[in-house]
Amino acid sequence: MKNNIKLLVLIFSFGFFLSCDDELNDLQPFTQGNPETFFNSVAAFQNGVDGAYKQLWNYYSDPGSGLQGIPDILSDNVILVRTGRTSNSNYFDYRYVASTGGAIDYYWSEAYEAVNVANLVIAQIDNLGDGADKNNILGQALAIRAWAHFDLVRIYGKIPTQSADANASLGVVYLKVEDGDTDDPFAEPARETVASNYAEIIGDLERASQLIGEDNGQGKLNAEGVYGLLSRVYLYNGEYQKVIDAANEVSVPLATAEELEGLYTDSNEAGIVVKLAINTSSESSGNNVGVLYSQTSASDVLEYAFDFDFYNSIDEDDLRLGVISYIGENSGNQYNAINKFLGETGEVNGRVDVKVMRSAEVLLNKAEAQYELGQDALTTLDELRDLRYVSYDGGETGSALEDAIQFERRVELSFEGHRFFDLKRRGEPIVRSTMGDIIDGSGTPPDFPTISADNFRFQLPIPIAEINANQNFVQNPGY
Amino acid sequence: MLTPLLVLFMTFSFAQEKTVAGVVTDQGGLPLPGVSVVVVGTTSGTQTDFDGNYTINVDQGEKLRFSYLGQKTVTMSVGASNTINVQLEEDAEALEEVVVVGYGSRSKELSTSAIATVSAEKIEAFVPSTSIDNILQGQAAGVQVTAANGRPGNTAFVQIRGVGSINAQTTPLYVIDGVPIPIDTERNFNPISNLNPSDIETFSILKDAATVSKYGSRGANGVVLITTKRGKAGDARVKISSSYGFGEMIPNNFDLMNTTQKLELERQYAALGVGAATSLPGGNATFEDISRLNALDTDWQEALLKNSIIQSNNLSVSGGDEKLTYYLSLGYDKNSGIIENIDGFERISARLNTNYQAKDWLNIGANVSVSRSSTDLPRDRNNVQNPFRAMYDYNPYEPLFLTNDDGSLVTDDQGNNIYNPTRGGFPIALALQTEPEDTRNLLLIGNISAGMTFGEKFSNNFSVGLISNRYNRTSRSIAGGVLNSIVGSAAFPGTQTDNLNVDFEYNVNNVFTYSDTFNGVHNLSASFLLEYNENIATDMFASARGFPSPGIPYLDVAAEATSVGSTESRRILFSQGLFVDYDYDGKYIVSGSVRRDGSSRFGPDNKYGYFYSGSAAWNIANESFMENSIFNTLKLRASYGTSGNQNIGNFQYLNLLDFSNTYNGQTTALPVGVGNPQIQWESQAIFDVGVEFGLFNNRLNGVVDYFKKNSNELLLDRPISYTVGDENNSIFSNIGEIENSGIEVTLSGDVIRTQNFKWTLGGNITFIDNEVVELVDDEDIITGPYGDNILRVGEEINSYYAVEYAGVNPANGEPLYYDLDGNVTNEFSDSFQKIQEGKSPIADFEGGFYTAFSYKGFGLRGDFVYKGGNYIYNFQRSSGISIGNIASNQRVEAFNYWKVPGDTDVLPNPIFQSNADQTSTRFLEKGDYLRLRTLTLDYNMPRDMIDGIGLNSLRFFVAGQNLFTITDFNGDPEVGLGSAESSEPGDSGFVPGSFNLFSYPNTRSYTFGVEVGF
Repeated sequence: MKNNIKLLVLIFSFGFFLSCDDELNDLQPFTQGNPETFFNSVAAFQNGVDGAYKQLWNYYSDPGSGLQGIPDILSDNVILVRTGRTSNSNYFDYRYVASTGGAIDYYWSEAYEAVNVANLVIAQIDNLGDGADKNNILGQALAIRAWAHFDLVRIYGKIPTQSADANASLGVVYLKVEDGDTDDPFAEPARETVASNYAEIIGDLERASQLIGEDNGQGKLNAEGVYGLLSRVYLYNGEYQKVIDAANEVSVPLATAEELEGLYTDSNEAGIVVKLAINTSSESSGNNVGVLYSQTSASDVLEYAFDFDFYNSIDEDDLRLGVISYIGENSGNQYNAINKFLGETGEVNGRVDVKVMRSAEVLLNKAEAQYELGQDALTTLDELRDLRYVSYDGGETGSALEDAIQFERRVELSFEGHRFFDLKRRGEPIVRSTMGDIIDGSGTPPDFPTISADNFRFQLPIPIAEINANQNFVQNPGY
Repeated sequence: MLTPLLVLFMTFSFAQEKTVAGVVTDQGGLPLPGVSVVVVGTTSGTQTDFDGNYTINVDQGEKLRFSYLGQKTVTMSVGASNTINVQLEEDAEALEEVVVVGYGSRSKELSTSAIATVSAEKIEAFVPSTSIDNILQGQAAGVQVTAANGRPGNTAFVQIRGVGSINAQTTPLYVIDGVPIPIDTERNFNPISNLNPSDIETFSILKDAATVSKYGSRGANGVVLITTKRGKAGDARVKISSSYGFGEMIPNNFDLMNTTQKLELERQYAALGVGAATSLPGGNATFEDISRLNALDTDWQEALLKNSIIQSNNLSVSGGDEKLTYYLSLGYDKNSGIIENIDGFERISARLNTNYQAKDWLNIGANVSVSRSSTDLPRDRNNVQNPFRAMYDYNPYEPLFLTNDDGSLVTDDQGNNIYNPTRGGFPIALALQTEPEDTRNLLLIGNISAGMTFGEKFSNNFSVGLISNRYNRTSRSIAGGVLNSIVGSAAFPGTQTDNLNVDFEYNVNNVFTYSDTFNGVHNLSASFLLEYNENIATDMFASARGFPSPGIPYLDVAAEATSVGSTESRRILFSQGLFVDYDYDGKYIVSGSVRRDGSSRFGPDNKYGYFYSGSAAWNIANESFMENSIFNTLKLRASYGTSGNQNIGNFQYLNLLDFSNTYNGQTTALPVGVGNPQIQWESQAIFDVGVEFGLFNNRLNGVVDYFKKNSNELLLDRPISYTVGDENNSIFSNIGEIENSGIEVTLSGDVIRTQNFKWTLGGNITFIDNEVVELVDDEDIITGPYGDNILRVGEEINSYYAVEYAGVNPANGEPLYYDLDGNVTNEFSDSFQKIQEGKSPIADFEGGFYTAFSYKGFGLRGDFVYKGGNYIYNFQRSSGISIGNIASNQRVEAFNYWKVPGDTDVLPNPIFQSNADQTSTRFLEKGDYLRLRTLTLDYNMPRDMIDGIGLNSLRFFVAGQNLFTITDFNGDPEVGLGSAESSEPGDSGFVPGSFNLFSYPNTRSYTFGVEVGF
């Protein structure tokens, strides 16, 4: 009897382990999906496309490094406020090297993640039946892939119109799943030329423009958005007639001066062609892009204020002035502070949508192209000026007209991530005011007020981590 | 669990009871105190006093059992006499030490393995330590311990015999009473800090293949077996201990500037044309300004820190009879931490260990412990949200509260002082109050085992262990607080996030053993193991905003829920093993093991792994020719075997899509990692040869080991090109081989051993060489959180990869660097980075030693720890003297910059800010140090003085921790975490101790305590 009990206990002890191997082999992830099987419906594909928008949103809106602000910090539009946290001072003072944290590493990483998601979607697009839905998904994915590569090459490479050697100089790696570029996770690809990058960007965008739908809702690309992007890319590539043709496809009306305030507090969509959006309720701890310029609390903690000369060049009849600036205070000093990104109505948390492309830019792209081709750019320019000024002299010709287009561009698109690229693509130097940061021009002037047009710092360094992990990658000259 | 409690209160009286008294003596006739006297078959019993006397109430005809460690147990029948005197004989067999080895225990003499044991006495010398892993520092050869940082309740980085893996996780496997403790660094889950050190009887640290191979895929980083205390048959023993003390940050070995100095440095920089200095007060201050600012001089360290209060209280009751024993304990520990305005760590714990001989063939054991801890968490990040950065950054002329120009305090409408946001724009003293974060952990560990014997030769042990932890975290930004004003919503003031993580792991194992002896001299035993281990982790969180009052920290009252989430993950390990031991007459011993593990962490092709070991030992001291030699112990042993490491995340072999992010409120599908279906076990082969000896009646004891440990198929989150678009730009893969080899020496001896005075010296040292042996295609891998470390074949693991500084140009003070060709240049470029041969964060040698004196009841013991040969990036110093940081406070050292031609050994001329403020070997410093870890003075009251008041023992003690440090490092050389938010265990490229960056500083403490036993 006793032995039987013992035997039973022993059998129980061993029996426990009988099904253990099955448990082991059947275990699957709980909250994650399989990228090889997930994409089988329009909704699933849209999740993938939204993931790609998310990646773009990440690097455009990052509170430390957002592409909405860094190109202004690198330019002559702003000055570092010395009583702030001096964030991004390595960028403002042109002290960045390949190992500098922040934007240099972040854009490189996030933009290629956007490319990766887009390629994942493109690779499996044939899981959907032919038709408008499939075309719309594919169009968005192609446009996002082009957009991310475009950002990469304009940040880390030269811009075709920048200098004679630009097209032959090193750009980035353009990854297309169709060409088998994405098969090997251990690949160490080498840089391609700028010309090759632009050809592929334009190829993807043009194809997308034929596929994408008319309206995909807030924060997503549609056909006009793709044409808007094309107008910018053609401009960077010096294809001026195409700029005009693409711009003509964009019908979004310009925001009026009255609508501007609501535009920057996200209470209207006036003049928006491409936007990256945040739902400030369900994403209430999401990126707050305005922190790039100021942490607005009980007392302002400004990071960057208007460049003295820039502020004073703006006409007092300019209806934008009150919308884009206010007098900020910090440590007892007054500053010409930046007002575009304080937050939604009533907020000061800096959490707003990123305005990637507005119809004003498309118009200015067109005007600049018309000027380059000797067409009537003045009429185009005046479409905008009519809305922005109580009155203005106008009637410029020749280089005065060219200057007027650029000046209008600088004011209209100020602090929205354009200025550095506009100077760069036009082969112009950065010339900052030598006055200080405080409202009356006192305070600390910039350490490096001038960057010559051929300075290597116009091309940001390839992040050190890429150089370290990829033996085939060549660093930009100067770093 | 109630049974033993009931037993405690059930004492019956019988009519024939009488009182028996007597004296118990040893072989030499000297009285033996503390001998257990039990009435056989009952729970009543007593102990002999200091003079060996006992009295007990017992019935005539019953039996008394006298037992004492190291003596043969004697049983006497109670007859007519009221006096029973007993002389006990020494029991040679019982004196043998038993060591806990994998899946059982073995006599120390028959062990073939390199095992270090740290016992209860040593643990008790470290009273103020709240985490058990910190206690191991310097206590055992080959065990390298570095505190993660000084935060109360934080754990330590423990490495056994060097870096066994370059994958982030090198923590050994902890097993408490047979229950493996899951540590998940990626989720910051480490229950080690929730164990009460007072409950621990021994740590048994398995270092070589002979024992770690038995743990197969989990053994590669070594195994720490923890055995908790058990009851002994006899009267209940009650022990109460209580201690109280305070702590402070270990004082800096450098000086920060005061107002006068800082203003002067600003003036000098401004005069030189350093842009950032011109708008600072010192840049253009008038004489009046300076005297006004001088009056505000603030020591921010004093303003933000406090003295911590450290309390520890423990109660234990243990006892039992020959069938049932119990150990019961309660503990309370508190360490308030050194940050003003927040609390530190608090823990309550309870444990009950029981053992019951249910039948003559069945023994049942049950251990259960519950503990709850709570911790307030300061932000460990590299900006002013971290008080330990703020206290160095805030200028001394910016006081804690805002002041008017006349020096009076500014008040708000309510008449309250206003915290000074300072130039950093962040009033940290206020933020500590308005941005509270705290965690609570409820940890339950239990195990039940059933041991069965089938005759003499067969036995079976079945055990189920489980560990469950409930983790709650609450993180808030209070309405009107610092962060809420910056990033919160004005319409919904106040935010809160609650996390609830429940971890559950169970482990079922069965060991079936056959043991036999042939011809009286051939001893053989073989065990077959089956083990199943499953870990289930479920996490939930919810966030909301819009709170009516900071006093109600519950989501129920929030205006709007903002986000929620839940996840689950599991890991399974299923194993079989066969262990064989043989010895010939206790002289020649051989052991072998083989184990097969199947893990859910690897893909179908690599799911199973085999691990084996073989070992042998020769007890020379047992040979007849060694009789009458000076050796009491002399053993040679050698072992070789393999073990594995599977400390990586789940499902790294699969490509995965993640849905946890939303875009504009909508679901996104994002790839979260490139899977690598080829990944497999990291495997490790250890060769060990050692000698153990005891001389002169064991007055001098020692162990010397040589080991060589080769870790193959290393798993590393290997950096890949960003162009792949991977989330963290790395992929888990098997990337090569590293080798650690070294010598460990442990010695202890009684220098003086007389009746009243004893002086003991002991210590250990470990020398370790390490080297990268093989990498994929021999390509370097640049790693570390900032790309400052490199793996290169033939070089030390994680050698620094840095631009080499060449000093300043004596002519103009310009900083100079070496380019890749070795030429000195005034340029700086990241492309000048090169390997710094022989300089890595890994120490060449480290260890600890102690010296203990005892005279009558007094004892004085000092424990030292030391290490050397490692290098640390001193980013804190860089921040304290960097020119661009002039708007923040600086170290006094910053004055020592180049001023006139010919100056050498100085900091660069501030006008060369761009090239001076760069990371280079200028800030790579040697981390050698020697530290007095604890100094304890105690006094045991003589037994005859306390007997009268009914006490068994009474001890008073005073202890100091970290009283002094010898180092050349500019700062605290004991660096574990640099900055948790920048790089912590589980992050790719994390290297412990590679840099410092304002993590929670280590503390010095003074404690007073008393222990009472009765």
